[in-house]
Amino acid sequence: MDDLLADFVAETREMLEASGGEIVAWEADPADKARLDTIFRFVHTVKGNCGFFDFPRLEKLSHAAEDALADCRSGRRDPDRALVSAVLAIIDRISEMTDSIEAGEDFPDGGDDELIEALQPSETVEIVGESREAPSAPMSADSEETAAPKAARSAGVQRSIRLPTELLDEVMKGVSDMVLARNDLARRLRDAGEQPEIDGPFDRLSTILADVRTAITRMRMQRLEHLFSSLPRLVRDLSNELGKQVMVDFEGGEVELDREMVEMVRDPLTHIIRNALDHGLEGPGERIRAGKRELGLLKFAARQSGNQITLAITDDGRGIGTDRLAAKAVAAGIYSQAEVDAMSERRKQHLIFEPGLSTADKVSAVSGRGVGMDVVRANLERVGGSIDVVSKPGEGTSFYLKLPLTLSIIAALTVGSGSQRYAVPRSFVEEIVFGSSEHVEFAEAGERQLVTFRGKRVPCLSLGTILGTKALEDIEWRNKTLVLIRLASEEVFALAVDRVYDHEDVVVKPIAPAVMETGLYAGTTLLDDGRPMMLLDLPSIAQKYQLVNEMRSATRVVEEEQVEQRKSQPIMLFTGLDGRRRAVRLELVRRIDTVAREAIDIEGARAQAVIDGAIFTLVGHEYGPLPEEKCRLLRLSDGDCEVAYAVQEVLDAAAMDGDIIPSAADPSIEGVTLIGDKPVPVIDGHALFASHRRPQASAQPMTCRLPARSDWARTILEPLVEAAGYRIATDAQEEADVAIELAEEQATPPGPARRVIRLRPEPEAPDGANDSIYRYDREALLAALKQARSGKTA
Amino acid sequence: MNELLLLCRIAGRNAAIPAVRVQSVIEVGDITPLPGVPRFIRGLTALRSQALTVIDCSVALGFESQPENPEQRAAVVDVDGHLYALLVEAAYDVGEARSDAIEVPGGFGAGWQAAARGLVETDTGPTLLIDIETLVSGPVAQAA
Repeated sequence: MDDLLADFVAETREMLEASGGEIVAWEADPADKARLDTIFRFVHTVKGNCGFFDFPRLEKLSHAAEDALADCRSGRRDPDRALVSAVLAIIDRISEMTDSIEAGEDFPDGGDDELIEALQPSETVEIVGESREAPSAPMSADSEETAAPKAARSAGVQRSIRLPTELLDEVMKGVSDMVLARNDLARRLRDAGEQPEIDGPFDRLSTILADVRTAITRMRMQRLEHLFSSLPRLVRDLSNELGKQVMVDFEGGEVELDREMVEMVRDPLTHIIRNALDHGLEGPGERIRAGKRELGLLKFAARQSGNQITLAITDDGRGIGTDRLAAKAVAAGIYSQAEVDAMSERRKQHLIFEPGLSTADKVSAVSGRGVGMDVVRANLERVGGSIDVVSKPGEGTSFYLKLPLTLSIIAALTVGSGSQRYAVPRSFVEEIVFGSSEHVEFAEAGERQLVTFRGKRVPCLSLGTILGTKALEDIEWRNKTLVLIRLASEEVFALAVDRVYDHEDVVVKPIAPAVMETGLYAGTTLLDDGRPMMLLDLPSIAQKYQLVNEMRSATRVVEEEQVEQRKSQPIMLFTGLDGRRRAVRLELVRRIDTVAREAIDIEGARAQAVIDGAIFTLVGHEYGPLPEEKCRLLRLSDGDCEVAYAVQEVLDAAAMDGDIIPSAADPSIEGVTLIGDKPVPVIDGHALFASHRRPQASAQPMTCRLPARSDWARTILEPLVEAAGYRIATDAQEEADVAIELAEEQATPPGPARRVIRLRPEPEAPDGANDSIYRYDREALLAALKQARSGKTA
Repeated sequence: MNELLLLCRIAGRNAAIPAVRVQSVIEVGDITPLPGVPRFIRGLTALRSQALTVIDCSVALGFESQPENPEQRAAVVDVDGHLYALLVEAAYDVGEARSDAIEVPGGFGAGWQAAARGLVETDTGPTLLIDIETLVSGPVAQAA
């Protein structure tokens, strides 16, 4: 509510300032119609705004002034100097009252009636003059007394200023350019080699710039509270209209979002609220019958995760009537009955986003005004967001809105065609497939290239052909990487590119109209090295190649099955080095890497692979010889540690719908499952990590003190002790968990220890004494260390 | 009168661009080609971290593309908030206009006629004053 009040005060102030000149001009010429209109609008707005708040005095004053001015406008009364004065007195009073509202204090009573009376047409000027003088005299005395402290206080209160958004945008743009300029400079400095006297200040500059950028971004941010604060009122009005009782609950109002994005969300949100109140939530009677609380609940929850905001709108109503929705889809001719029958429940719920569908049987006053959820979705997708719906019959419906933090930075996939790089908005990218994979089949139908992948046949466009740099017949589809693109309208097509580079967040800038006209590009961005890169306009490209309609009927049903299947366990199929097919649960696979043969080091039982400068335990190599040059590795992770699994080829991701038949014979596999009627062993992740994970360095390792003056201890013993999970104690005062002593050194270690292991130089213990261990008896030494360890934990 | 002009050479002729519109004259380095765009757009180039659309003035006027030149100069102009680099064969100097732009009987020839605001006298002789907006909006030979 405070936000609203602040807005009210700010708006009133702004209008007062703006109309200040008008008031003076009107005073000089009371007959001036234009001035009269301006002032009328002012009091009218104040009156209207007062309606929202409990300000009876303000409302009464502005109402009286409005009445009088309305008479003048309609010609029932001629504005004279007395009226002008009276109106001005009221405006002054409004201004003072606004000040005290802002300061949060009560305005002294009295004086209002006299002011209002002064507005009445009077016979003689003198009386009016007197009656005007009467209230205003004490008032001005009053204000003189309080004006000074009040002004001082409001200077303290007013800690925010209002700025035009354009100015913010300009500053934001300036900072973005600065960041790019800095990147450019950074590259040049790198090229020039190390120059400490420049690098230092430059680093400082970079840090400052990063801070400024964050601050500027925050300037554009607005708390969602701001949006939320207007919702209870909307819900109240709507629920009254519909005869329902609704409780509103908010969560995450502190989440901040780009101002513009907040405005973007307002309409979709209003629409979802309307829908929820009108169709979702039942009337009180029905709710009681269904065993629910009489009061419906509408919950808004916002969360920020990385560069994305999730806003969930949940009602506890009756859920989406999928049968009715499906029937409507059939009636509207969007789908055939057979298509609808084949749909999953979830797919049916998504029908709500189809154009031209509404669950409302009749158009009510509240919803069903011709703006459907399809428009909501399109609007959200336009700003790089998305919407999803989950509904349970009888329990309620949730809409999930995903929104990017800002409008100008988008997540993109960079792809290559020829020697150039292009950016594709990541929200469109569904999957990336290698054209060389066995599971991809290419076919030609007339001039159209088609690709079949995992049961889907979709049109395939080559980026080179789209851009006109390569003729269709010259393209070797097998050498391409296919990026499966799913458009907002659910159409899917494959974009064949030469290479996929990376995911990047790019700052998109507009491009010249002549370039825009090509319909190929949506904007431009600069790479780190300062070269420009174009952002592809995929919806427009699809339109250009008439892909928007032609796939609709063909792929829908097939796609549907895919959606169904994905609910089962996803696994990744590959061939091991022995050429046999195996599978691993997809969750375990962190990524797929290709490394050179030299990066793999196998020696006896130890096998390791170097990927990006880190060493990983290598498994899977026991099945067969490693390839000559490049080796494909699956990086498997249990969340803490990773191992690299050498494979011959990565085949495909598949869904495992059947059961796994456990196999006792081979401990390395979880069991065997059927994929496409063929048995495939599934790797047992548990066994794999149990045997190959590196002992994790515990947060507080045991400490071990070594003889300080022995080279042998330092160079030979120390690595062994550390490998056993001990930290070498260096502080002479520290009490170590274990101390190792050399028998030939008479001096005991110069520090306290809880347990002592003595090492002797001879293999055989002299005189049968059993209190020491031969220094090269590795087993015994490790056992002693282990015993010390368990002794501590016990 | 007395308007300052950037004197340059486009398609083998003397031409002038109002200097007040020119932000700077740059040597165009790498140009990132933009496949699929009309021929008069050479591509994009980066200047101080901003992307400039490079316009080949010769092509825009309906002539053949000017030969590649390692030290090709371009005038940077801002049209409706977009930055363009107008590629010229040579950029000479900034000079004062000694007359108003005038038409000549019979016109200047197809491309020139559409893109030129008229003929101005300069210290180096008569020069055609080029209209930037027309130049960046596309091949004028077709528009004419």
